[in-house]
Amino acid sequence: MSQSSLKNKCAFELTDRLEILEMWHSRFGILPLVFEGYSFYKRGRNIWIFSQFEIPDLRSDSVGLRFLSTKGRVWKPSTYALQLFGRFAIKNVVDLAPNQAKKFIAGYSQILDADLEDGYVVVSYLGDVLGCGLYKSNQLKSQLPKERRIAENAIVNPSLEGESI
Amino acid sequence: MDTLERYRDIIPDFDGFLDTMFQPLPTTFRINTLKTDCQHLLGRLDYEHLTYLPFKWYPHGLKMDVEKPGNLVESLMGYIHSQEEISMVSPVVLKPRPEERVLDLCAAPGSKTTQIAQMMNNRGLLVANEPVPNRIVSLRSNCERLGVMNVVITRYDGRFFPLNQFDRVLVDAPCTGQGMARKDLSVLSRWNLRTSLGIGRLQLSLLKRAITLTKSGGEVVYSTCTFAPEENEAVVSQVLNEGVKLEEVSVPHLKGSPGLNEWMGTEYGDEMKKCARYYPHQNDTGGFFVAKLIKE
Repeated sequence: MSQSSLKNKCAFELTDRLEILEMWHSRFGILPLVFEGYSFYKRGRNIWIFSQFEIPDLRSDSVGLRFLSTKGRVWKPSTYALQLFGRFAIKNVVDLAPNQAKKFIAGYSQILDADLEDGYVVVSYLGDVLGCGLYKSNQLKSQLPKERRIAENAIVNPSLEGESI
Repeated sequence: MDTLERYRDIIPDFDGFLDTMFQPLPTTFRINTLKTDCQHLLGRLDYEHLTYLPFKWYPHGLKMDVEKPGNLVESLMGYIHSQEEISMVSPVVLKPRPEERVLDLCAAPGSKTTQIAQMMNNRGLLVANEPVPNRIVSLRSNCERLGVMNVVITRYDGRFFPLNQFDRVLVDAPCTGQGMARKDLSVLSRWNLRTSLGIGRLQLSLLKRAITLTKSGGEVVYSTCTFAPEENEAVVSQVLNEGVKLEEVSVPHLKGSPGLNEWMGTEYGDEMKKCARYYPHQNDTGGFFVAKLIKE
């Protein structure tokens, strides 16, 4: 299959993996090894991760999973990429307490004193990744897609009873 | 309900069937092993004091009495997916393996697509096709939330999907949806024979294309969520002279009935008994039909 036929049919282009792996390593300490067996494709300002090394010769609407956006000055990891790979992060990752997680899931910003560099961070609860947050000047801003935010979310555990946000 | 009366002679314990049809469906979920494992997920649910009941026939299925499944944090994280129990049957019958090339010809909203991806462990190639643009939105959204990385989404008219060689193809065909009446009773009052016959022609074209797209020795699974034989046995029996043979559908610990060999004077042949019909009162689910074809 020629590169031109790929371009014509789906507009996804194989992209330089080194730059992407370097970003995940420098920001989150995630080793390039974690992404072995996956390839990265670019379309517009998005990069997609795909578990095949060749796109089939079809008119494709999307390929794999949206991995990051290159739209801003700093590349932004997607919520779903962090949900898959954020557990390998050893820095710029924060595990929230129940009342904090509740706010994050509802889409609110909150003051948070944590050992984080400014920029995009992995946000987890009970050790499981919720998604992406933007940390700046001790404030954590939820980056969950609007359609995924849960206003009345069901974070319940014994320590939370009687508490409200 | 008049529409259901036509099935009185083919559905065992017809009165029990009618009773169940007017009860709401239990809320059920699939555990998404692309992002978590059963033990971890159940541990979380226990910690949150949520009660659940695992399926008898499928290790990744759960019944859970929750009002808004989408409001669970586990849904947001993609650990679970709200999916009707009986619809989990088609991927189980399709039995996709990692590293294979698999096509889901009528994919949206992606419940079965994502279940197939989980069975393939995110390896190999999964093509999810859906011709209707706004249904692609839900398909893509579910694939992303559930962490599917081996999928290519296409939007061809399934009848004309470009020539290809797949190991397995799922045709979860558009249908009149009588089996989903427990979710939406209006499907029964909207049903008429002409609709079934018309949709049957579309289903036959989709199934024929699926067979063409499958490599020799490969497998095609055809499923619908309707009781109408015009959309089930009548469709499948017409492809039996096209270089395919039926394999018996049997899912351990799930009650079902054999396919029909005849209906209202039309002979479909005894081979059709290898198909499976799942009626709502047999497992407290929706209604479903599944056939498995092997390409020679």
